[in-house]
Amino acid sequence: MPRFFHTADWQIGRQYSRFAEEDASILADARFTAIERLAALATEQAVDAVLVAGDVFDAQTVSDRTIHRTFQAMAGFTGPWLLLPGNHDAALAESVWTRAQRLGAVPEHVDLLLAPEVRVYEHLGFAVIPAPLTQRQTYDDLTEWFDRAETPKGLVRIGLAHGSVEGQLAEEIDSTNPIAADRAATARLDYLALGDWHGYKTIDARTRYSGTPEQERFKDNGAGQALVVDIEQPGAEPQVQPHSIGQFQWIKHQDTLVVASDIERLIAELDALPPRSVVDLTLDGEVDLAGYQTLLQYLGGAEARHRSFQSHLSGLNLIPTEDDIAALHADGYVGEVIGELRERQEGQGEGSDTARAALAILAGMLRDTRLVSESEPTETAQ
Amino acid sequence: MKLTRLQLDQLKQFRQPLEIRDLTDGINLFVGPNESGKSTLVRAIRAAFFERYKSSSVDDLQPWGDTSATPEIELEFDWQGEHWALNKRFLGKKRCDLKVGSQHFSGEEAEEKLAEMLGYQFPGRGASKAEHWGIPGLLWVEQGAVQDIQGPVNHAGEHLQSALGQSLGEVASSGGDELIARVEKERAELLTGTGKETKEYKKVQEDYRHSQERLDALNQSVEQYRQQVDQLGVLIEQKQTIDAARPWEEQRRKADTAKSQLSEVQRWQSEQRQDQQALDACRQSQAVYRQQLKDFENQQHQLTQRAEDKAKAEAQLQECRDRRPQLERRRADAEQAYERARNLREQARHQAERGRLQQQIDQLAERQSQQADTLKQATELHQTLKGLQAQQPSKDIDPTALGQLKRTEQALAELAIRQKALATRLNYELEPEKSITVGDKTVTGQGETLLVEATELRIPGVGRLHIQPGGTDVADLQRQQQALQSEQNSLLRRLDVASLEEGEQRAAESQRLAQAIERDQARLDILAPKGVDALRSAAEQDGARLEALRAQLEQLPEVQADVTSEENAEADLDAARAELKRAEDALNQHQQQHGLAEQASANAHAEWNKLNAELQAPDRKAREEGANKELTDLKAREHQLTTAIEARQRQIDEAQPEVLEQDIERFTASAQAMETQARERAQSIRDLQVRLEEQGAQGLEEKRDEEAQINQRLAQRRDELTRRAQALDLLLSLLKDKRQALTRQLQAPLQKHLNHYLKLLFPQAHLSVDENLMPTTLTRPQGTGEERGDLSSLSYGAREQMGLISRLAYADLLREAGKPTLIILDDALVHSDAQRLDQMKRILFDAARRHQVLLFSCHPENWRDLGATPRDLQGLKLG
Repeated sequence: MPRFFHTADWQIGRQYSRFAEEDASILADARFTAIERLAALATEQAVDAVLVAGDVFDAQTVSDRTIHRTFQAMAGFTGPWLLLPGNHDAALAESVWTRAQRLGAVPEHVDLLLAPEVRVYEHLGFAVIPAPLTQRQTYDDLTEWFDRAETPKGLVRIGLAHGSVEGQLAEEIDSTNPIAADRAATARLDYLALGDWHGYKTIDARTRYSGTPEQERFKDNGAGQALVVDIEQPGAEPQVQPHSIGQFQWIKHQDTLVVASDIERLIAELDALPPRSVVDLTLDGEVDLAGYQTLLQYLGGAEARHRSFQSHLSGLNLIPTEDDIAALHADGYVGEVIGELRERQEGQGEGSDTARAALAILAGMLRDTRLVSESEPTETAQ
Repeated sequence: MKLTRLQLDQLKQFRQPLEIRDLTDGINLFVGPNESGKSTLVRAIRAAFFERYKSSSVDDLQPWGDTSATPEIELEFDWQGEHWALNKRFLGKKRCDLKVGSQHFSGEEAEEKLAEMLGYQFPGRGASKAEHWGIPGLLWVEQGAVQDIQGPVNHAGEHLQSALGQSLGEVASSGGDELIARVEKERAELLTGTGKETKEYKKVQEDYRHSQERLDALNQSVEQYRQQVDQLGVLIEQKQTIDAARPWEEQRRKADTAKSQLSEVQRWQSEQRQDQQALDACRQSQAVYRQQLKDFENQQHQLTQRAEDKAKAEAQLQECRDRRPQLERRRADAEQAYERARNLREQARHQAERGRLQQQIDQLAERQSQQADTLKQATELHQTLKGLQAQQPSKDIDPTALGQLKRTEQALAELAIRQKALATRLNYELEPEKSITVGDKTVTGQGETLLVEATELRIPGVGRLHIQPGGTDVADLQRQQQALQSEQNSLLRRLDVASLEEGEQRAAESQRLAQAIERDQARLDILAPKGVDALRSAAEQDGARLEALRAQLEQLPEVQADVTSEENAEADLDAARAELKRAEDALNQHQQQHGLAEQASANAHAEWNKLNAELQAPDRKAREEGANKELTDLKAREHQLTTAIEARQRQIDEAQPEVLEQDIERFTASAQAMETQARERAQSIRDLQVRLEEQGAQGLEEKRDEEAQINQRLAQRRDELTRRAQALDLLLSLLKDKRQALTRQLQAPLQKHLNHYLKLLFPQAHLSVDENLMPTTLTRPQGTGEERGDLSSLSYGAREQMGLISRLAYADLLREAGKPTLIILDDALVHSDAQRLDQMKRILFDAARRHQVLLFSCHPENWRDLGATPRDLQGLKLG
């Protein structure tokens, strides 16, 4: 009765250029932590093996240190670990795998499935039919040979592949590395463990994408998990149990501000987000100066509360009200300038962005001036 | 604002109080000579407003030498329906009081109220200066400062702007300029004045560019690395599919097959060459035998021919022999003729020799007799010459001394004549027998004597008479005579003659002798040019030679008389010799021909014999038959060989040895190429693996991704700064534009007032105003165009006029804005000509309808027609 872990798309070595340096390095580190968590969970769940369906590494030429760290992170589970090359770490003539072997970084209990050959784990009760990528991408179905692959009788037949199941995934997934949707059936597989799709996805009862164990995109598709799969005996339907692995949740939030009270609503929504998340906030619509100040103040606090908090306010127009202008003492021609900028920020393009920024700067300066001039009389009075 | 009363006390020259009251609207004219107190009055008004009453820097206000005085000023004026009274005391008893209607202000409060009303400020400390004067600085003009408009306008700027701003309905911004300065400062953090990036912005741009370069380089490296990995894959694939089968071995086998085929063909070729040689030899032998048979056939014909040849040679020989006697005869005749001719020529030669000798002897004998004569004459002449030359010394005389002697004697003769003429002539006729002694001489009878010297005349019985000839010359002449005589004697002795005549005779003789010698010598030179002795020896030589010639002639043999001439004999001999030679040649030639004929005859005989013998030989028949048989055998052999060669050649051609050679080359080369390729492939794989191992260890993609992160962040930062720079730029330009638009709104009314005055001075002229409300350029119509000029480029007078007009325009502007205007002019327009001054007076009069004007002048005559009653300061002082 084999019980194994199905995971994929570790993408070790990925860098996050969109984040601040500190956040980026923590997020990159989180990918190693995910392996450690996997190992710990594997031991805890007493699985027979861990199957990794491709893209262990994000690139072929990661540093030696990264290679060592990756394999060392697997120490928490004594194996076996079955690693399949994906499109990011294809088994080329020279690859991250040949390097790892040369470095002597691959431990005993880790099996690299670099060739399309059946691997038999007699004592564990299953045989694995792998479809490693030996090119960066291919338009051939590498799992085709599964149909003809012979495995010893009485062993559970497990397919391990990396690519896109035809007709199942959104168009944004490249049509390279295709996998026939009915492969599990045609190849008489008990389970087909897939990688490449970073979210958790069930194709059919025997075919699944586990998703990446640590989220790295703003997509709410069940990423950050690994699957514990139990198969009673050859031919039995597999029992699949997702387990959360990831540390950070990636949340994309978009909102349009129209009336003054929208700010309060937005703040309430943002407060409800889980802490220490990776948040990407995009706002458009319009806001008066007071509301804008409130917003900026709130965002400053939110940045501290989350792992990363990025806000995009370029779609948000500043609409100073008469009260705003009066409060800023923007009399005479300065008032006219505010009016002009207000008009200019309407619409799209660089000109309106510049006007918006100019208005924000002007408002800031006027507020500073006002604060100074309000405190001044008291000083002179003394 | 209308000033109504003014009072001073203890101020400068006004030690006593001075009061001026009843000041009117419009123009108030104060006149008086220099130092009558006009400027003091002006100073007092300025001090009342500008100087702090507490100020210690105003001691110039005290009367001269009175340091305890308290300068005091009292001013009263109406403004906005209220009466204002100001009393200000300096230095001694400092005090300031201001009453406005019923309100009372004192001290600094009073001062600030005035400053606010009029628009000026006080100095922090010390005396008030131009920069503090604000609006009054513009309207209260000190002596000689009307034309300077820039400073006062600048100082008044802020007050003007705020004063006028209110009149424009609050469009001016209270903090606008401060804001502009701040935006400018913020912008300067990012951009230079010309809009280039600077400071951090510039650095971020540069950092980004460098990062981009690094990123590009890394991307390239990654791409290169990937290509190499792909290449490695391809090579390994090739190695496994191609090289593992060792395809070159197949090629080598093919090459070996072709080689063995080729060596078989080569063996055939060798046999072919041997057969070809045999064929050639066979054909040559055939030719030899055919020739032999042909030779046999020819020999019979040859024998006949040789018999003919033999007969012909013998006939020639006989003919030769027959000609011989004739030729020998001819030679003998020629020999005889030659001998004869030779004898004749010998005799002719002797004859000629004799003739020549005889001729020489005759010539020599003739010459000898001539020489004897010449020698004789020459010997005689020589003797004569010797005699003449022996005489010559005794007759020789010095011709110079002789000439001198002659001149001396002539001089003596002349002297005697002169003596005779001078001497005392003594005629006497003595009694007979009686005598007298004259000098030493006794004289008797009758006679005459000349007395040339003192002479004693003794007359016996009578005594002695001393006669002294008269004149002084007598004695002198006598002395000359003595000198000449002495010279004469000396010359005579020198010449060794008794007299001049003898000397001259001797000279004549000497000349004759010399001529004779010369003549004879000339003759002798002709006769014997080389001397007599040479002549004699020549004669002797000729004699000896004559003897020799005669002896020679004796020895020559006698000859017959009829001998021909030598030339003829010689010609005859030549002819005889030539004939002899021809005869001998003919004989020799014949002898040769004879020899040859004999030889030819012998040869022809031998040939015939030989051939004849051969033809008669016993084995000749057998040999001919043998040759015929050999020839037949050889022909059969030739046929056999030809057939074999042709057959073998076909075989060789079919085997195509060239193609076989090419095959060997091709297969060998292919094998080598394949092996080389395999070797190179293996090497490339090793190289690539090593290189990729090295590069892989560098973690290229990880590095690239790190750099991409840096790049992305820099781009973000750059974009932020760009947005901020653009925003600040936009903000600044908007603020400035708006501010300028506002300024233009202020400019318009000022312009209007300026033009109002200007048209009184220069019709259709225009004075432009800049954004600081400063008059700048005067434009006047000039002919068909216009003339433009900055204020500073105008003449002093015109600048003064423009300065006043500008100030009046400001006053109008301020009045419209509801601000107080009081105009004070101290000695203005002193540089204007009469015409301009008239115009300016119209302008002033016009302005005075709206403003109170205090005008001070020391030229009352200039302002009589201003429509104002002048107040004489001196009168005021007294009154």
